[in-house]
Amino acid sequence: MAIMMPEADQAVLARRDQIVAALRAIVPGEGVIDSAAEMLPYESDGLMAYRQPPMVVVLPETTAQVAKVLKYCHEQGIKVVPRGSGTSLSGGALPLADGVLLGLGKFKRIREIDFDNRVVVTEPGVTNLAISQAVAHAGFYYAPDPSSQIACSIGGNVAENSGGVHCLKYGMTTNNVLGCEIVLINGEVLRIGGKCAENAGYDLMGLITGSEGLLGVVTEVTVRILQKPETARALMVGFSEVEAAGECVARIIGAGIIPGGMEMMDKPAIHAAEAFVHAGYPLDVEALLIIELDGPGVEVDELIGRVEAIANGCGSTTCRISTSEAERNLFWAGRKAAFPAVGRISPDYLCMDGTIPRGALPKALARIRELSEKYQLGCANVFHAGDGNLHPLILYDANKPGEMERAEAFGADILRCCVELGGVLTGEHGVGIEKRDLMPDMFTEIDLNQQQRVKCAFDSQGLLNPGKVFPTLHRCAELGRMHVHGGRLAFPDLPRF
Amino acid sequence: MNNLKVTNAAEVEDVVRAAIASEQPLDIIGHGSKRQIGQLTTTNAVLDLSALNAVISYEPNELIITVQAGAPLADLLSLIDSKSQQFAFEPMDTGPLLGLPGRGTIGGMIAVGLAGPRRIRAGGVRDHLLGAHAVSGFGESFKTGGKVVKNVTGYDLCKLLAGSWGTLAVMTEVTLKVMPRPESERSLVLRGLDDLKANRAMTAALGSPFDVSGAAHLPASSLRPDVDGLSDIGSPREAVTVIRLEGITASVTHRAASLAKQLSPFGPVDIIADDASARFWSAARDVLPFAANGPLGAWPVWRIVCPPVSGAAIGQALTRPTGGEVIYDWGGGLIWAALPPQPDASAGLVRQQVEAAGGHATLLRAWDEMRHAVDVFHPQPAGVAALEERVRVSFDPKSIFNRGRMRRSVAS
Repeated sequence: MAIMMPEADQAVLARRDQIVAALRAIVPGEGVIDSAAEMLPYESDGLMAYRQPPMVVVLPETTAQVAKVLKYCHEQGIKVVPRGSGTSLSGGALPLADGVLLGLGKFKRIREIDFDNRVVVTEPGVTNLAISQAVAHAGFYYAPDPSSQIACSIGGNVAENSGGVHCLKYGMTTNNVLGCEIVLINGEVLRIGGKCAENAGYDLMGLITGSEGLLGVVTEVTVRILQKPETARALMVGFSEVEAAGECVARIIGAGIIPGGMEMMDKPAIHAAEAFVHAGYPLDVEALLIIELDGPGVEVDELIGRVEAIANGCGSTTCRISTSEAERNLFWAGRKAAFPAVGRISPDYLCMDGTIPRGALPKALARIRELSEKYQLGCANVFHAGDGNLHPLILYDANKPGEMERAEAFGADILRCCVELGGVLTGEHGVGIEKRDLMPDMFTEIDLNQQQRVKCAFDSQGLLNPGKVFPTLHRCAELGRMHVHGGRLAFPDLPRF
Repeated sequence: MNNLKVTNAAEVEDVVRAAIASEQPLDIIGHGSKRQIGQLTTTNAVLDLSALNAVISYEPNELIITVQAGAPLADLLSLIDSKSQQFAFEPMDTGPLLGLPGRGTIGGMIAVGLAGPRRIRAGGVRDHLLGAHAVSGFGESFKTGGKVVKNVTGYDLCKLLAGSWGTLAVMTEVTLKVMPRPESERSLVLRGLDDLKANRAMTAALGSPFDVSGAAHLPASSLRPDVDGLSDIGSPREAVTVIRLEGITASVTHRAASLAKQLSPFGPVDIIADDASARFWSAARDVLPFAANGPLGAWPVWRIVCPPVSGAAIGQALTRPTGGEVIYDWGGGLIWAALPPQPDASAGLVRQQVEAAGGHATLLRAWDEMRHAVDVFHPQPAGVAALEERVRVSFDPKSIFNRGRMRRSVAS
């Protein structure tokens, strides 16, 4: 394993039987799993290159049980890794050898649907898609739509601040959650926010969202729901140069149009997708844009016309406009199947997730081509073009010695390139273990220390999901120490107050 | 009063380090336009960021702007307007309410986090702050977030900074998301509804697929002829319930017609367009009926955030026993309440009613004695309050920044 995890605490491992018994006293029956065979499904999440059996799996059903498990672990100094559906692509739910894996899969109930206040109150194990399905009869839906929405849980979405193809227009998870019930590592149960547009006091909901399971365990979430747009249509536009496609995206935004979705694929991705789903993608283009407009019919029709004109002005070589739901879905089918499609042409692939300023796209793709040469590995690119979120898929074969390491080094170089171009390490998949050791490429030690101090406000012993997000773990006492800098005093009058 | 005017981030660090060394709290200000809000503080030193006012970069096609924290908000609004863009959260100008017109910086706007009518559709200030450079109470410059619209790298400390009233760190440079300004707007106006019916009409509108970007109700008493933007849409005899639609003209026209039909059970619907509509929403955003220079200028004003459908019931419970006045925004989810002066600004009544509905209330305008006697910000349950205090200490262990501004118990 290229990424080092915190060393297992042998004293904890020696007490394993005792710990299992104590957990069984809290969560009865099948809620505690300690046999190697039954723990197998929990060994990894969506980042399958990394596997680690946990010490024990606990699947509580109530907030009270979660609180008792955490309180027990806190008192006993036992590490805890929270897990939703286990679809994280960054290893956020990778277990620890000496840690309790706390699965929220039994929190499967939607607690309240409140159409008048336009919110749903749900348990965290409910899938993203199930929320939309539960309110669809009244024309509502939950907007963030990560591609794993059929499986990923809303609790996991909160932990990762998940996005999706529609988040340029409708926001990420953080823009669509209003409140939660959270259990702190000491077993304390707190309610943050609720059905109001904003919280009182500090925006703790905003802090918790995207904190990757390091601050607390969410046991209930309140999300806002929206009315479904009346209609949606898509354009599929091909370009003979990536630069022209990038220019087209910039001009659409420049014209004040925020499409519901705006996706780009490069040639390798187009070919892989077309071979898989036969969506009718042009094979002689360097870049393909799928642009979806949603809203009232009159609005969509007019904007389709405007976008088509912009695309023509940017030298598009092909432009098809969907005339039916079936055709729109077909345009999307290739893009949505891009990952499995690439999986067909390569034994393994790594999915990266950097964000760049959109204008830097041609530079980023050129750099990725160079790196592809350097590492002798193929790469297909899909891109949430509207918000600059790049998903290079690095092709490799894990059975060939050294290829996985090369693929990881290639991926790390791509993410460093994103930061150099003014972007960030991750747009929607999270840091987890995957990008943990790259954090110093984006943040200084001071930046990271400040984040860890906030972590200390929630979990002073560092028991919740250690080894994720932060490359170096500091003790809270050390982080809280004030180093009074003598130095030069540019304001010598200050001490006179 | 010692006023320390800094011109760059390094000077901010210097001042903060000196303040830490001498345990000297600092009031953090831009233009000082909102210093009348919050608990009374006793600080005798001011860290003045108004000279830290440069636009670092503005890239309309990337939908971002990066500026220093002391940049005047009004200048930035003109700048992005020149590229047909806007801050979608429609920042409130507290000037009219507090009697300090024409002032305010971007840093102050973020620190108070007061978003306007479009918050129901576009989110608040916290949803548009993408990145920040700030100096912590450890005397260190740190960065959080980034300069791109989509980013989940590390904790989202921007969310904490927005609405922290300067109690966590001194922001020096911020990156915000900008959005295209809608081509046109139409507002539907229903007249003469009582608060409860108006709340139902707004709920119906917001539950429709017509992409409503504003839903406010102004009782008849607020429609005084002296209030800019209101005199031309109503009269003091009739309340107005106003629903805003924005976007490209064809779409707005279509949606206005469809929504008018849907709302017809609530009465006849008038439609106002573009300038008249914009004037109304500007008046609602800045709560002009309660302006400092108006007849209610001496009354304390509460800002109440609640589940939208409970708005009218709370409003009535506050106005009936007190003779006060309310304005509803966010479809009932935001209530501005001006109540006749009492030593405690009627805090007991307000907090009891608001808490029962699951909301929270901030005493946004009040005289010094009231700010001394009352919790300006809504008191949190003990566990949450303790966590907030730990979070605050993680940024500023010596309570250097705006000490006691947000919480009465820690006032020195």
